[in-house]
Amino acid sequence: MATRVPATARIQGRSGVSPHHPWIGFCAFALFVLTAAPALAQSNNVRLTKLSDVPFGTITNFASDSVSSQSVCAFSASATKNYHVTASGSGTGGAFSLASGSSSLAYDVQWNGASGQTSGTQLSPNVALTGLLSAATQQACNSGPATSGSLIVILRSSAVSSARAGSYSGTLTLVIGPE
Amino acid sequence: MKISSLRHFGAAGALALLAMSATAQAATQGSLGSTSTGTVSISATVPGRVQISGLSDFAFGTLDPTTAASTAKNVCVWSNTATKGYNITATGDGAASAFTLTNGSTTLAYGVEWAGSSGQSTGTSLATSSAATGFTSTATNPSCSAGPATTASLIVKFSTAQMQSAVGSASAYTGILTLVVAPE
Repeated sequence: MATRVPATARIQGRSGVSPHHPWIGFCAFALFVLTAAPALAQSNNVRLTKLSDVPFGTITNFASDSVSSQSVCAFSASATKNYHVTASGSGTGGAFSLASGSSSLAYDVQWNGASGQTSGTQLSPNVALTGLLSAATQQACNSGPATSGSLIVILRSSAVSSARAGSYSGTLTLVIGPE
Repeated sequence: MKISSLRHFGAAGALALLAMSATAQAATQGSLGSTSTGTVSISATVPGRVQISGLSDFAFGTLDPTTAASTAKNVCVWSNTATKGYNITATGDGAASAFTLTNGSTTLAYGVEWAGSSGQSTGTSLATSSAATGFTSTATNPSCSAGPATTASLIVKFSTAQMQSAVGSASAYTGILTLVVAPE
């Protein structure tokens, strides 16, 4: 009779394992783990692709902000397709700043959960922006929407005006995670 | 002899730039995982720039040829070079850019001096069309809207010899002084 009891019943209640068939309960548990684990991993996967470098070139207009926006692919396989993004620059403590020798040039970073946008939510270094929803249906956006989010980098005129002349560079790191 | 107005304006100067571009580091794409990390390289070149502002006209009124006259005004010069250095070139609107005013028929010569700090009544004597070099700005903002309100002194003066060489006139002598600053 014990071998006809459904496996799920055995996992939920150890007292239901028949003392005459001690391995049945273990096998049912193992089966559960082997089948469930891949499903859990897949549901938590995310991927960020289609990023491009941001070369502002020579800034000729000190009176206006210089804005560079790009559409990227942010994929989330979570049940809700939600994700969060965290950005950090190569300045001290992850600050969003470029360097030219000992001189620095601060910049702003914005993120928009939709592609093709030129403005978004202001990011702070090392602070996650949550509640974003991905429209991507494929991990690298090879099918479905080609892009699903926007990264906006802004050089403020006030920062440029107060910066010393020079060639500045830096790295912006973006990390997305599932929600 | 009345000099009603002497106008001068500044021009933001030129650039000299190091066009060395930072080593281009290609963007990296994230991989599929519980988190995904990508990077982008950001680069920008800020060219050498200067700006002169805070200028105002000089109106000497009626001059006494037996007494030298001089007026100094504080101005703002900003430079974004590593040393915050700049040079300045002045030109008048007389013949061959001479520092002279005119009443329409005769001229009155004047002198121009520049000091690299504000609040000065004397400075380096400028020759027309010739750059005076080696000045350093303390400005932290292109228009001195923050930090020091002024950073340099412009002095315009008439010597007794200059005034006595001019023809007395009921008509005002006027002219324009042009100042060009450039980064160093």
